[in-house]
Amino acid sequence: MKRGVRHQNLGGARAVILHRPHPVVQALTRQLHAIGLEVGDCWPDLEPQAISADFIFFDADMGHDAQFPWKPGESPMPMIALIGSEAPGRIEWSLQAGAHAQLLKPIGDSGAYSALLIARTAFDAHRALSAEIADLRRRLDQRQTVVQAVTLLAQRAKDESAAYGQLRQMAMAWRVSIEEAAHRIVASQGGPDDRRDRG
Amino acid sequence: MKRRIDLGLLYSRSGSYALISDACRTGALAAVAEVNAGAFDLELVPVERDPGGNIDLYAPLCEELLAHEGLHHVVGCVTSWSRKEVIPTLEKARGTLWYAVPYEGFEASDHVVYTHACPNQHLLPLLDWAFPAFGRRAYLTGSNYIWGWEMNRLARERIGAAGGKVLGERYLPIGSLEIDRMIEEIRATEPDFILNSLIGPSSYAFLKAYHALGREDARFRPDRCPVMSCNLTECELPALGDAAEGLIAAGPYFRGEGRFGSSHEAAAHAAVMELARLLSGRPGAERLPLSQLLAEAPPGIVDPQTHHTSLPVLISQVSGGRFTVRERLPARPGDPYLTHPAPARPATLRIVS
Repeated sequence: MKRGVRHQNLGGARAVILHRPHPVVQALTRQLHAIGLEVGDCWPDLEPQAISADFIFFDADMGHDAQFPWKPGESPMPMIALIGSEAPGRIEWSLQAGAHAQLLKPIGDSGAYSALLIARTAFDAHRALSAEIADLRRRLDQRQTVVQAVTLLAQRAKDESAAYGQLRQMAMAWRVSIEEAAHRIVASQGGPDDRRDRG
Repeated sequence: MKRRIDLGLLYSRSGSYALISDACRTGALAAVAEVNAGAFDLELVPVERDPGGNIDLYAPLCEELLAHEGLHHVVGCVTSWSRKEVIPTLEKARGTLWYAVPYEGFEASDHVVYTHACPNQHLLPLLDWAFPAFGRRAYLTGSNYIWGWEMNRLARERIGAAGGKVLGERYLPIGSLEIDRMIEEIRATEPDFILNSLIGPSSYAFLKAYHALGREDARFRPDRCPVMSCNLTECELPALGDAAEGLIAAGPYFRGEGRFGSSHEAAAHAAVMELARLLSGRPGAERLPLSQLLAEAPPGIVDPQTHHTSLPVLISQVSGGRFTVRERLPARPGDPYLTHPAPARPATLRIVS
């Protein structure tokens, strides 16, 4: 899958650095200001406003799950790990916390811009895939309803493939998915609906 | 009593971009002479190193200036490639590079001052000006390194957003003269304009061949399909001769605006003058890291956040062997990451004929 890198709209974006006061914070803040972001830092807890930040940089050395007001891996924005000790345990925790990119400490003259772009691209890709998987799951769950609708329609149609064709036509006419059209047909016939186990 | 302060000059006096190096060097040395003759409490002593156009000599020679000679400030580098080569050395020695050449942006080193233009000060206003004047179908050329790649990527994005089309994009290794294929593709695709980000001899060969094409076919003359660039200044016109006629360039300065021969000269001069202002009356200040040097002085031309400068945008065309300004836009701050909104274009109505 080819995906362009979204490099616009960084101006005025807000980044929060979750790290104890340290030269790392100063060096990173300098880079982010030069790029045009607004920057805040906090430690040990994320400030409540952080939930609306555009990027979170977090300390991978001293960090732990309770610092984040969301489930591990479910941050509503791209997350960038600030890694000092490259110990497998800390890298594993950063990944579980949902790091989309990383920067190695000490932070020097550069690196923040590529971390921002890589994190945003990974975050967007992850989000698009999650939405696609959820949609496919929902459609899988509705297989039984589709079979029931085709069976109902086949009572009046020539055969099953004509009934399936008819279902597709109806879905197109109603501008809904095949699964949704099948659900409407089954519901209007008072037939059983398998959607009770959707979720 | 004047304090003696050594100032590094790191310019390649030979190799494919020597003309630009010489222009920058002229501007820097003119400023050194001015500082030394003037009321500053400083005597700047140039210490020169010449990488001779060899990319692998920049970092070692910069290190020689900073670590062995004990200097803190270097004016130099022409290509972005060489600038990126010396940044780790600057970081290690806490030195500062004053860079006086237009570049492709997306950099704001804590150890570099950028006194020439970046894309919001050259490429973007140039394209915005060219679209209504010539059209939106472009052919892009470039030398095979970051300047050409990034300029053309930005141009492609801007052209696409304006509903235009890139008809071709081709690169040559630095120094290569194999321009025939570009010329053939341009003849075949008939673009509205050409954006040229070749450098040195490749650029000279291309511009001469394209000029010859225009002589035999009116569709490729500057009034129908001009060549535009963001790095052409007066210092390279002698290498082009007649082939320069009609070329369009964007830059912060052209000869005739002031006492300098080119924007390279002006930008290098401005760099050294600003350094002298920052050091003047502050014994030992030359040893401060750039951020501190800027923070503890009254505001000057260098933006303390981006280390870029505010520059006007002039769009000029070569006519009778010299640049004539065709469009003049007010000064705007350098925006290396293109994260700030562009200034509104002045609301002037033009007669469309």
